[in-house]
Amino acid sequence: MRALPGKASRQPPGPEPVSRDEAAADQRRRILEATADLVAEHGYAEATIEQIVRRARVGYATFYKHYADKQEAFLALLDAAVERTAYVVEEAYDGEAGPWPDKVGAGLGALLALAAVHPGIARACLVEAPTAGPEAAARHEAALKHFAPLLRPGRKLNPRQDKLPETLEDTLVGGVVWVINQRLIAGEADQLRGLLPEALEFLLRPYVGEDIAAREAGQTEVTSA
Amino acid sequence: MAEETLGPLPAGRHGFSREQVAHNQRERLIAGLASAVAEHGYREVTITHITKQARVSRRVFYENFEDKEQCFLAAFEVVVGYIRELAAEAVAPIEDWPHRAIAASGAVLSFLSSEPDLARLCLVESQAAGPAVSARFHEVVHQAVPFLEQGRAERDRGRDLPPTTEESTIGALVLLASRKVAANEAEQLDDLLPDFAEFILAPYLGAEEASRLARPPA
Repeated sequence: MRALPGKASRQPPGPEPVSRDEAAADQRRRILEATADLVAEHGYAEATIEQIVRRARVGYATFYKHYADKQEAFLALLDAAVERTAYVVEEAYDGEAGPWPDKVGAGLGALLALAAVHPGIARACLVEAPTAGPEAAARHEAALKHFAPLLRPGRKLNPRQDKLPETLEDTLVGGVVWVINQRLIAGEADQLRGLLPEALEFLLRPYVGEDIAAREAGQTEVTSA
Repeated sequence: MAEETLGPLPAGRHGFSREQVAHNQRERLIAGLASAVAEHGYREVTITHITKQARVSRRVFYENFEDKEQCFLAAFEVVVGYIRELAAEAVAPIEDWPHRAIAASGAVLSFLSSEPDLARLCLVESQAAGPAVSARFHEVVHQAVPFLEQGRAERDRGRDLPPTTEESTIGALVLLASRKVAANEAEQLDDLLPDFAEFILAPYLGAEEASRLARPPA
């Protein structure tokens, strides 16, 4: 839709023509969303480029203009989703002015809400990524590592902090991811938000003990109900 | 493991019944799949890789399995069954639940660290082996939940733990072990027994008692 020099005023009224960059960005977004949905529905191995271009409503040429193959599209999806998730979770965590347990509750709540709103992307990244080849598995591993530093400050609240195992944060993150995965696999994304009190108690208990963890989790339940 | 000790079947008359030979061939295919998957990974492995390792023909493969997914599932079941037996043996002489939990974790971890290829088959490759295997994997992991729930009887406080406690605990430990195996650190899993045991016991016994039982003085 390039206007001829001096003829811009003769363009028909209506929505602003989208620039070439915006159109390309929109194509990429549609391709990645389609990739996420199809990987979530069929598994990484079974999803095909044919299905992706059809779902994304783009041509093959457009797909190959942006990505060399299915793997490149999937890795781009993982990168985008991990960046977005890290941003949303850290923003919620940092934005919570309360003490550390409240910050963890805010970050965890944001994570569960994000997965509930985008179950296809969540399933593609959490459940399917470890199976989609070494590069995808490495990104999955790197993504999980984002969360451990948010839990680590809890050690200061524990009188036995020097006795807490080095693996504690990785273990706790795994427990929450596992429970999220089970709901995604069962197609129960609508139940993800409801996991907040239990998952929060699970994360806090090793640092602050059961009584405080349960109290914090109970407050979350009350405010979210 | 079996695949290293199995040579080719002697040709000609060997005195085995047809059923014995068939059973043997199936076992060889399962062992062959385990070594082929260890070498190539599930996604890249082919029926030819498997039959070569097993030293049987493709025809024999298709007499026993429809495809590599079905063969993988059979291998997965064999390894899981073996791990279950090891855990059952380890807990058999022990009465109290906390020590049974420690013994079971120890048996599983020491098997996984001594058999890194089979650990990878069960924990990592199983995730790439299609929906049927993946579903079975989750089912197997969840079979540990009732065993962990016995820990609730050890609690001396009135309040109930949240219902997902055991699911989170077992999932946390399975994911941690999978990450170690994927990072080629399966051999170190044995060293994590005190961490695993403490993590399992803490919700029921409290952190201090869990740590005391999980880390007995040397």
